[in-house]
Amino acid sequence: MTESRREFIKKSGCALGMTALATQMHHFGLVDAMAQSIDPLALTGYKALVLCYFDGGNDGNNLVVPIHDVPVGTTGISNYTTYTNARGTQGLALPRTGTGALLPISVPRMGTDYTYGLHPSLGAMTRDIGQNIINNGIHELYQQGRMAIVPNVGTLVRPTTKAQMSQASHPKPYQLYSHSDQTNQNQNAYANRPIFTGWGGRVADAMRAGVDPANIGGLIPMVTSIAGAQIFTAAQASPPLAIGQANTVAIPLPTPLPTPNLRTILSPAGFTNTGGTARRTAFNQIRAEEVLSNANFVKEAAEVLDTAMQADAAFASANEVAVEFPNTSLGQQLRQVARLIQMRSSLTMNRQIFFVRIGGFDTHTDQLGAHNTLFTQFSQAARAFYDAMGSLGVQNDVTMFTLSDFGRTFNPAGSGAGVGTDHAWGNHCMVIGGSVVGGNFYGLPTSNGTPYPNLAFNGTDDADGGTGARGRWIPSTSVEQYAATLAKWYGLPQDAATLQAVFPNIGNFNMASGALDFLL
Amino acid sequence: MFSLRRGPVKFFWLATVIFAVSPLSVFAQGDPNPNSPTPIIVSIEGSPRLLAYQALRSRNHTLGRLPAETLRPGGNAVMFVANLSLMEGEDANAFRIFARDEKGRTYKFPVIDLRPAPGQPEVYALTFRLQDEVGYWQEPIEIGDLIVRLSWRGLSSNELLLGYGGKGGKLSEEKSLKSSSLSDIKGGKVSQAASLNNVGIGYKWSGDRVRFLEQATFGPTPSLDLRIRRIGLRVWVAEQFEKPYPSPAYPYPDIPLKNTNRDDITTGCGPFADTAVYRACIRNHYTMYPLQNWFFQEALYGDAQLRHRVAWALGQIWVTSGVVNEQSSWMIAYHKVLSKNAFGNYRDLMEEMTLNPGMGNYLDMVRSTRNNPNENYPREILQLFSVGLFELNQDGTLKLNNGNPIETYSQTDVNNFTKVFTGWNFCNTGCPSSGPGLVNFKDPIVINAGITTLGNNRHDLTAKTLFSYPGAPNPTIAACTGTCDDTLVSIASYANTSLDQTLDNIFNHPNVGPFVSKTLIQHLVTSDPSPAYVSRVAGIFNNNGFGVRGDLKAVVKAIILDPEARGDVKTDPNFGKLREPVQLMTNLFRQVGVTGANFTGLSDGVIVGRTSPLGQNVFYSPTVFNYYPPDYVIPGTSLLGPEFALMTSGTAVSRLNFTNTVVMNDNAVGINAETSPNGTSLDIRELEGIAAADTTSNRLLDTLNNRFLHGTMTPATRSSILTAVNAIAANNPRQRARQAVYLVATSSQFQVQR
Repeated sequence: MTESRREFIKKSGCALGMTALATQMHHFGLVDAMAQSIDPLALTGYKALVLCYFDGGNDGNNLVVPIHDVPVGTTGISNYTTYTNARGTQGLALPRTGTGALLPISVPRMGTDYTYGLHPSLGAMTRDIGQNIINNGIHELYQQGRMAIVPNVGTLVRPTTKAQMSQASHPKPYQLYSHSDQTNQNQNAYANRPIFTGWGGRVADAMRAGVDPANIGGLIPMVTSIAGAQIFTAAQASPPLAIGQANTVAIPLPTPLPTPNLRTILSPAGFTNTGGTARRTAFNQIRAEEVLSNANFVKEAAEVLDTAMQADAAFASANEVAVEFPNTSLGQQLRQVARLIQMRSSLTMNRQIFFVRIGGFDTHTDQLGAHNTLFTQFSQAARAFYDAMGSLGVQNDVTMFTLSDFGRTFNPAGSGAGVGTDHAWGNHCMVIGGSVVGGNFYGLPTSNGTPYPNLAFNGTDDADGGTGARGRWIPSTSVEQYAATLAKWYGLPQDAATLQAVFPNIGNFNMASGALDFLL
Repeated sequence: MFSLRRGPVKFFWLATVIFAVSPLSVFAQGDPNPNSPTPIIVSIEGSPRLLAYQALRSRNHTLGRLPAETLRPGGNAVMFVANLSLMEGEDANAFRIFARDEKGRTYKFPVIDLRPAPGQPEVYALTFRLQDEVGYWQEPIEIGDLIVRLSWRGLSSNELLLGYGGKGGKLSEEKSLKSSSLSDIKGGKVSQAASLNNVGIGYKWSGDRVRFLEQATFGPTPSLDLRIRRIGLRVWVAEQFEKPYPSPAYPYPDIPLKNTNRDDITTGCGPFADTAVYRACIRNHYTMYPLQNWFFQEALYGDAQLRHRVAWALGQIWVTSGVVNEQSSWMIAYHKVLSKNAFGNYRDLMEEMTLNPGMGNYLDMVRSTRNNPNENYPREILQLFSVGLFELNQDGTLKLNNGNPIETYSQTDVNNFTKVFTGWNFCNTGCPSSGPGLVNFKDPIVINAGITTLGNNRHDLTAKTLFSYPGAPNPTIAACTGTCDDTLVSIASYANTSLDQTLDNIFNHPNVGPFVSKTLIQHLVTSDPSPAYVSRVAGIFNNNGFGVRGDLKAVVKAIILDPEARGDVKTDPNFGKLREPVQLMTNLFRQVGVTGANFTGLSDGVIVGRTSPLGQNVFYSPTVFNYYPPDYVIPGTSLLGPEFALMTSGTAVSRLNFTNTVVMNDNAVGINAETSPNGTSLDIRELEGIAAADTTSNRLLDTLNNRFLHGTMTPATRSSILTAVNAIAANNPRQRARQAVYLVATSSQFQVQR
């Protein structure tokens, strides 16, 4: 049985006495290692998962688009005409030729006749003076087989068909189409009811539970968010670290490389003036006292600060990563991740989970311009990160993947320059890394037998019915299936008890079909 | 539910003063004792074990029976509580029972029934179920002792052992456990007087007064504390309701509308030029800078503190943001709606906010038409501004159906509500603030603005089906047909009427009272209020005593005068809330003293750039979900703590560094000779004087304990700070004062408003 971290602190605090510095009190990952028998050979090498969360609900319908002309007939496999008929009139359809054309990709899973296109902003572009465009983007990674697409992923309690949508007895995710609830369900991989932990946090809990002694003596928590507090990172026994993004660094990179701010973002300022030493002593004493406070909010605030102080000490030797990152928020978040991965040995970390975020996807209006900006930022930052992992020699050990609140209605909202889309459900995800068996689609079949949904309004994959149906795809691959595939690669023990603890609904879904083998 | 409850039994026993709070007795001179008695749970005679029975069908809660030393998991049981003084209507949901096991895991047991114990009128029998209702940990699986306690009105009872399916384990060794049997209680052997470390506090109820000011203002000041001591909380609240707003010395910045193209040479700031004039024009019109400065001036110095505080809270429910609404004039128009209605009626707030052009832009209502409807505003007015996602009881707890929450609305409902909100747009001609080249972000949006032909009507004229709860006004709206759609004028009339009917339909939904009440309590007082507290406030929301629903004055008064908010000391471990960054800053400034550069003049409100590293850039909420969500649970716990969403490793350090900057430096924050000559500085001189007058530094510590922590500073913290202060030479009292302020202000005890 895993003890809570709080219990551990309590014991340590007693053992060391009230005057001990809180920063000496515990190392993350040590708790259960002490309590359990350890097989140090159970985990080898290094692995990291990086969730890039598309905040606001990305319109996957314009990320991956059918561009073939194979007649739909009775196959239910939509073509480019299906797409332009739905989106052309209101000005939301992307062209497949000429300026701003979709970038063609081949999809072995779909067969040679069925071609698809990626949003043009994922391609190679000319460097810009804003230092946001610096590389060839991720379309190239798809073509190199280092990026996979998992279409129509979404929140589910059980596999769900169109017919089951109208059956009250068939369990469905609570509050479909609501940002906050669907964000939570994507990040906690559980759609039955609200819960307190995210699946990243639960993977960390399970990996620390003695079954699999990751990060023995690790100096920072297994889970790190570069984008604030997120339910994905919330665990019961493994508190996350949450630090800010890097400062911008000039492009091209200066020589010699500057000292990064990894340390300074967590270092309390001051303590150098008169009485500074005495001040630091008291500051540490108060924190050591407060992490044991009976007042819960006081205790929790002190623990957050204490985690920061420990990380501050661990980050003393940070170095800059010798790869250019775009000077965007996401670029600087991923630069921070790259720095941490670069220091993995000195931090004694062999398994890490990171959370980064790009916001602005709630495109009820002005979607075309927003998508150009957002996809460019994602593509450039993701590519820079992939390249940085290559320069660190860990490109096969680090996998980045995307999730979002939900997809968006295939039927546009508004028209003309301001055209946008409303909240929907199933959505297309990307997985990038050296261990990705890319250049293909993955996932369980939709109604048409392929992973890519039938794009017909009120069709066999549309959750909406009737004449006003707007195209909200019923997911064919659940968040659990997608997440569990990633977690398995990461090293989550595959015994039934662990899987059940991390992904309580996993038993409702087929994991054995091979449809999700997108990782080596 | 049980219906056997008798009327409340009025008595007082260990409490020395009768405690009675009537939220409506505004003009009472002087205040009643704010302190509720501390509840005592009754033990078995001579044992630290809870006196309890397995609940029987007969409900014969006689105290004389042989108690059950172990209770059946999953079953109902009865415990006994003494030292209460209940208000009329105060029921089982005023109590929360917590248990913890050996591993430090906490469980919450649902409270089912409360009634006077037969034959013991001073004692209440509390029926509860031995089943965790939080679901954070699995149910306690080990058979053995738990430690149980009870919370009531922000106070915690004593702790006792409870045999959960059996006795045993190490918890019985805890030294703090002791008997609290009926004879112990009657013999005065159980002392439950909450202790204050209030060495320097000479006035009655000063702990409560300072806490009150933390809840109702942007921070206590010595002069405000003095004033409230003279006139009492209730008179002060009544005064606040009448204060002009903004305070006359700090009127809203008068910022004209500008072109949406900032470089427009007629109505923008153009042509672009790398000059101070151009930059200032952009900063004042196309950023929130003037509004932020005004906001902080009003918070630091203004007299209308309560309205400012409530408007700030409402603005975190009805969120718009400078991220999208980039002109300060737009956001000022929006803030005026908040502040005007902060002491008005919630229904008016709903209507004015719906028609506020900033909101219309932020949530896309101005772009929603019958042919291209946009669900953004209708979805959020329901989810975030009025009813929320799940059906609620009046006490804010979820209504359940077979154990599952009941969704308040479906996608079909959203589709119907969406229709009502189609066709509205900016009033760019013919309204007071209309002007060439400008988008009218000041006047309310109107139906079919600029539409001249009937065929171009943008409002959805079909029938709508709205909420149909019992007593719902306007559960349906008929289609606009016949003569209704003959002219644009009649369509406009239909659309306006429909909007009124729809807002009435939403406003009267039974969820609105508990939804709004709980959220406001969270912003002002405590993150996880008891259901009884929510219910009391929601009751006032539903009817202010004069048959009026939605009276925010009455609601605010009920929130800040409630016995759960009041009292010198709050011992419930879950009471209070993390200070959001804005409150952290303004409380620090106001409690020490705030001035401009070189201790001359007043702050000009420029604290700009200091809030965003802490995660709260004022008037730039990142999304409509505010800086932090109201349902945020602190990771690793089951504690509801919305503001903790802003408390990360990084921002925790930013809080320290902000404090370091303003406390340890001579230079003002934000000072800029050209644009902000004053900046904002901490005025340390008063505390410096106190440090100089008493070289033992005890008076300094007393003062800080009183002002910052209303007397709750722990002895260990006090000792740590005292040592650090006295490490500085006595002839440097300024540095001594700074040392002390830094350490108090960075303590987690101060990060939490409690």
